[in-house]
Amino acid sequence: MSNLDPLVKIENLKKNFGNFTALNGVSLEVFPGEVHALLGDNGAGKSTLIKILSGVYQPTSGKIFVEGSEVKFSSPRDASNVGIGTVYQDLALNALTSMTRNFFLGREQIIGPPPFGILKSKEMNKIAVEEMKKIGIFISDPEQAVGTMSGGQRQTLAIARAIYFGAKVLILDEPTSALGQKQQMEVLKTILKVRDLGNIAIILITHNEIHARLVADRFTFLSLGEVIGTGTPDDLKDSDIKRLMAGGAEIGDLAAELKR
Amino acid sequence: MNSNSRAESDRLKKRNWFIEILQRPEIGPFGVMLLLILALGFFSIPENANTWNLFEGEGLNALGIRNNLRIIAQLGIIALGAGLLIIAGEFDLSIGSMIGFAGMCMAITLKWGFHIVIPYISFTNGISVEKFVIASFNNVTPLAAVFITLCFTLFFGWLMGLIVVKTGLASFIVSLSFLFFLRGLTEVCYRAFNKAPDQTAGSTQVSDLPDFKNIVNLPEYGEIGRVAAKRLDPEILLRYYEKLSPDQIAAFSQKLSMAFERVAAKKTEILMNKNISNIEREINNAKEAGNTDLVTTLQSRLLDAQNMAPVVPKDVTNLDIVKAWIDTLPSERPAADFFGGNVLEGMFEWLYQIGWNVNNYGNKFAPGLYNAVFLWILIAIVAWIVLSKTQAGNWIYSTGGNLNAAKANGVPTGKVKISLFMFSAFCATMFAATQVFETNTADAAKGVLKELEAIAAAVIGGVVLTGGFGTVLGIMFGSIIFGIASVAFFYIPYVDGSFYRIFLGAVLLIAALTNENIRKRITGGI
Ligand SMILES: Nc1ncnc2c1ncn2[C@@H]1O[C@H](COP(=O)(O)OP(=O)(O)O)[C@@H](O)[C@H]1O
Ligand SMILES: [Mg+2]
Repeated sequence: MSNLDPLVKIENLKKNFGNFTALNGVSLEVFPGEVHALLGDNGAGKSTLIKILSGVYQPTSGKIFVEGSEVKFSSPRDASNVGIGTVYQDLALNALTSMTRNFFLGREQIIGPPPFGILKSKEMNKIAVEEMKKIGIFISDPEQAVGTMSGGQRQTLAIARAIYFGAKVLILDEPTSALGQKQQMEVLKTILKVRDLGNIAIILITHNEIHARLVADRFTFLSLGEVIGTGTPDDLKDSDIKRLMAGGAEIGDLAAELKR
Repeated sequence: MNSNSRAESDRLKKRNWFIEILQRPEIGPFGVMLLLILALGFFSIPENANTWNLFEGEGLNALGIRNNLRIIAQLGIIALGAGLLIIAGEFDLSIGSMIGFAGMCMAITLKWGFHIVIPYISFTNGISVEKFVIASFNNVTPLAAVFITLCFTLFFGWLMGLIVVKTGLASFIVSLSFLFFLRGLTEVCYRAFNKAPDQTAGSTQVSDLPDFKNIVNLPEYGEIGRVAAKRLDPEILLRYYEKLSPDQIAAFSQKLSMAFERVAAKKTEILMNKNISNIEREINNAKEAGNTDLVTTLQSRLLDAQNMAPVVPKDVTNLDIVKAWIDTLPSERPAADFFGGNVLEGMFEWLYQIGWNVNNYGNKFAPGLYNAVFLWILIAIVAWIVLSKTQAGNWIYSTGGNLNAAKANGVPTGKVKISLFMFSAFCATMFAATQVFETNTADAAKGVLKELEAIAAAVIGGVVLTGGFGTVLGIMFGSIIFGIASVAFFYIPYVDGSFYRIFLGAVLLIAALTNENIRKRITGGI
């Protein structure tokens, strides 16, 4: 896989909030058909990094390349136009309306002039069901309210929507954190299905190193705004991962620290 | 299940159509509405009338239906404006004041015309305020008056929406400001225009507008009110008789003679009943007094009364035919007729002919339904299509359901809200137009508290106050419930009419609780 060109390449990205350095020279490569896990403690800078990638923040310095050419985003729209789709934790879904209405929210298929064109409900229902099926979840009633769907199904809906509307890079911000055990597994399966599509690069932000180990092809560890380790599961031993998750400290050091 | 689907993923059962209807959110309001209609019919049947026909009483006879549907339709129009806005997550408390303001605008432009002026302070003869006239329109037609009014009301709706969207202030407080502002502006404008000597100074109403909807074009005479036309010199009127075609004359005279027969029959019935009951009472008195001779004479008189010769119907004169013809002339102010006139006149004529739409004197009871009903249905159909079938509808639901999600998906939520504030102002203007052209008057006190009634009707119809949930059909049911409740209690014997407010208060509370439960069920408690 890594013999392909990276879909997204980040070079020496820095971000200051006033005189606080949130990111201090982060570099990263993400390849199509790969899950790249971004791990790190609270406050490490993960959210800042993906907000820059999705156009919410502008970097202080550093470069972003998508499919080899440099890009500069001044708004989330710019990012989604070049194919960066972000699924935030709140998923941007309206629980009170149907799955189809959410799938096409803001990009409805209509007959007639917008915004008073008539919704092509049948076609949209069909597409929504098919797209969900592609990444492993079959919904028989696309008219059901999103509020009645399980957390895993909602996550899948948000992912399927991002992919259908042209995301080549899918950024998932802690997709498993608010779910129960069973639904966490559902979401991980969905992530693998998306990876199997082959042309989409996934950046998975997570706290949970077990989840990362289950699905990720590559890890990057952030601590205090810097990359403290990166590599494939083969490169990194379990003990390395434990150490890096703890922000680079040795378990022994931590134990000593706790005893004091 | 195959590998593409998961057992967990789809646990919803397919429902059949009957269950589906029962699970629709409008089913509760629909049930209450049916109950109220039955109650209105039942309680309005007079106590001595021996009938179970719900359409016999004052509540649901032809005139009752006409009057009750007018109340319902007018409330229904503003409830649609209020309801759609609540679905998008905002409130409009200015509806009532907007009604007063719109009525004032319409009445004043109809009476004094429309003038665009620039006021300035002049120092030529001391200090005085003079005005420089840019444009002046003196005879404003009803259609133009409605359009000019819409320019103002839609502007205020837009402004309210803009303030809410741009400042992030709660629409409750912004529209509350407009409630005071517009009501004050209305009163100030009335006082500014109502000046002695031709008007009562300081009056806050306009009460002597012409009956625009009944202005007709009498050939060779010109425009004239229908009533005035029928009061013209008979000699003039009879000239029109010559111009009617034999077919027309035949049709009119057939219609009229049927009506006259009906009136005569009713007269016979009334006379006979009156005589009979008088004689029967006298017989009873005579029996008590033991006057047997008198009883026998009275009994023979009773027989006479029972076989009384029927009243002879009036003859149909040529003048009658001309007057009937004047009644069929179309209005020369179709806009006024559209807002203040009648609809379904043909159907009500037919109902008269088959003997239902008949009053106690044998005349036609209701000429038709108020056009406000037609306008309500029209706006409701458009609102229903927009809300449930179009892209804009999905935007409205998502703006109220989850504002951040809507924004994140590129929905222009600001425009959605501003448009709906304008729609609410539009509905208030339509309400005012029906009032002005029905009654040919306008008053600064018009529309007081209507905003709360509109919101209540929407909530009773299943709209959730926090937004994102509700249907047009539900809002219509809510308006019917509110409208009927306010008249039905009047007919319940031994019950104070004001009980309707107690009833509505309870219904409103129950509706709000039910809506919240439905919302929770759908969102899974989010
Ligand atoms: N808008 C902001 N202004 C100032 N400081 C910020 C801002 N956003 C994030 N930070 C700071 O940057 C650091 C990294 O935050 P974040 O990227 O949210 O971390 P993570 O998502 O890894 O927990 C934190 O110390 C946070 O306080
Ligand atoms: Mg974070």
